Amino acid sequence: MKKALALALVSAMTLSLVGCGAKTTTTETATTDTAVEATTTENTDSTEAADASTGEPVTLQVFSNLPDRKTGQGLVEQTLFDDYMKENPNVTIEVETLDDEAYKTKFKAYAAGSQMPDLVSVWGQPGFIDEVMDAGLLTELNQDDYKDYGFIQGSLDGFSKDGKLYGLARNTDVMCFYYNQKMFDDNGWTVPTTYDELLALADKINAAGLIPVAMDGGDKWPLDIYVTDLMEKLDGSGVFAKTHDAIANADFSDPSFTKAVDILKDSAKRGLFQKGFETTDYGTAQNLFINAQSAMFYMGSWDMSMAANEDIPAEVRDNIRVFTMPSVEGGKATAANITAWNGGGYSVTESAAHKEEAIKLLNYMFRPEGWTKLAWENGVCMSAQDFSQFATGKETEPQKQFMEIVANATDLSRTPLGDMGSSEFKTVCEDKIQEAAIDKISTQEFYDAIAETCK
Amino acid sequence: MRKAYSNKAVIASLVAPGLIFFFFAILVPICLSVYYGFTDFSGLGAASFIGLDNYKFMLHDKDFWISLRNSGLLAIGFVCIQHPLAIIAAVIIDNMQGKAEGFFRCVYFLPNVISVAIIAYLWKFIYDPNFGLLNNIVKIFGGEGHINWLGSGTAIWSVLIVLIWHGFGWGMLIYYTGIKNIDPVLYEAAAIDGADKKKRFLLITLPLMKPVIQVNVTLAVISALKQMETVYLLTNGGPGNETQFMANHLYKQAFSAFKYGYGNSISVVFVIICILATQVLNMIFREKEA
Repeated sequence: MKKALALALVSAMTLSLVGCGAKTTTTETATTDTAVEATTTENTDSTEAADASTGEPVTLQVFSNLPDRKTGQGLVEQTLFDDYMKENPNVTIEVETLDDEAYKTKFKAYAAGSQMPDLVSVWGQPGFIDEVMDAGLLTELNQDDYKDYGFIQGSLDGFSKDGKLYGLARNTDVMCFYYNQKMFDDNGWTVPTTYDELLALADKINAAGLIPVAMDGGDKWPLDIYVTDLMEKLDGSGVFAKTHDAIANADFSDPSFTKAVDILKDSAKRGLFQKGFETTDYGTAQNLFINAQSAMFYMGSWDMSMAANEDIPAEVRDNIRVFTMPSVEGGKATAANITAWNGGGYSVTESAAHKEEAIKLLNYMFRPEGWTKLAWENGVCMSAQDFSQFATGKETEPQKQFMEIVANATDLSRTPLGDMGSSEFKTVCEDKIQEAAIDKISTQEFYDAIAETCK
Repeated sequence: MRKAYSNKAVIASLVAPGLIFFFFAILVPICLSVYYGFTDFSGLGAASFIGLDNYKFMLHDKDFWISLRNSGLLAIGFVCIQHPLAIIAAVIIDNMQGKAEGFFRCVYFLPNVISVAIIAYLWKFIYDPNFGLLNNIVKIFGGEGHINWLGSGTAIWSVLIVLIWHGFGWGMLIYYTGIKNIDPVLYEAAAIDGADKKKRFLLITLPLMKPVIQVNVTLAVISALKQMETVYLLTNGGPGNETQFMANHLYKQAFSAFKYGYGNSISVVFVIICILATQVLNMIFREKEA
């Protein structure tokens, strides 16, 4: 009797355990079933045409770094996905989004697992993509597919390795000073053409009780870009190669490196930026500019949508103009040397469940009338492709100015300093440039610290 | 039935779910963490064993020592500033009676109810050098009013104030409950014997609150060491690494610099420090009891 009872208890317990386990196994088999189905469809339809015609339901997993799906780039991305699903009713696109930093963390977690999402956001900058390409996580794309896509010369370099292409660039980012034209006119200020003029202007603006340049120093990376921006003006060209070599050799003794940081330090000391710029975050810095508390705002072209943002008071919104870093005394650069790069983009993963379909989606997104047209028409950003054919004549002033800046550019700096090395390099580079900017450490100490991480 | 429960197979099957959960959800991750602490794992690719290199690096990692010092400062701030004030506030509120008691209990606890993200932004605005509340107050008293409270030099104190203020409500509430549990008969007897308020507090309230204080102080020290979210949102350890705290430093190393191996070795040291702190506190209180 007792034995029977014990046996019953044990079996009940084991059964319940098995029960728990069984449920998961059934779902697991269910998912593998679909996976198997998908692979078989892929196998049978090795040609692309057949793939679409069969109409087997396909669910594409997309992992994106654009969490805001209602405005800006996120909206453009979502619109393209929706259009694709409309044209291909058998395809369902599931999007998972996270902000940059969280995105990168989860990307690593996915990379550690056996299956990654089909289409992923990537950054065509050595600090991110080198490691990912080395680990063989991305699928090689057929370069011939993109011959007629109008990608700007060199924009895909960051996404390539050993002559093989692993991703497509989403946009062209140009660093600039946004300024308030009305405020300039009212006070009789003029756009500076040399760095000395910029500093002299800053003195005048400070004297008027306003902030010259709103700087997002709390996030640190704009300070690194500022250094690259100054180096581009000092050297004229070859900044990318120089920085690349410096990191490879852990040697930053080149005088342009030192001079750029020295200029940043002096500018901060002289009051070019707002008080406490080292603790001001992106939103707060932008607000200083939007609320007409600062005359200028140092940020990238991705913020050009400010000029179309209804939430910004019209008095500021309609008067936003841009200029790029003025030339530095003794520098070799002209206005045609700009600090610009092709950062964000997309790749299809090597372990994708629906590789063919994902590449189709990627190609659909980047056909010229896709991302490029939508992004430009909505004033969201400049794509990495030729967008001049989509000029509508209704562009905002900053848009027109950026178009001109890019059209006239003869040399691009490419990837900014912070994104040139490993993740550790980036972290240290950001921490230390902030300390250097507020004169807590010397220029030499800054370079010693970042060189240490290159060894 | 009782015999069935003494059957080893039955015991094993009943204990198994809990054990399995403990094993895979707690024990295995901890062991893995210790293992990764000895590697140069970056989160991607293979991890290679590098022995004690991470721990050697930690000895020279200035930011680690700054974060440890800051965590220590916070623990001291909690024990020496927050908790004495919390006890006093609890006694005062207890003496209020009526509606005022409920009102103030609520007000003091309010910061704990508000989300940490909001608290951090609230204080960011208060501290702002260009339009912050605090600087405007300084201006009223004739100062220049452009002090960057979260800037180099003052940042750590500004952060400590926020943290001490934010955790105040919890401490107070636990002390308040402790005081409520003291038998009022004792106070009556003391009053009859002629003890004034101060004496009643020192000779009745405090000694009877000892177990509560012990628990509360231990919790405070652990939470000081674990402090992460407020700092992350307020300064993220900046400027530079001036306001870095241990948990945030660990996070930054593991998930920004992608030095998982090093991050894990910090977490191992972190756990050891937490256990040591708890042990030391227990010893201190035990000695007093004896």
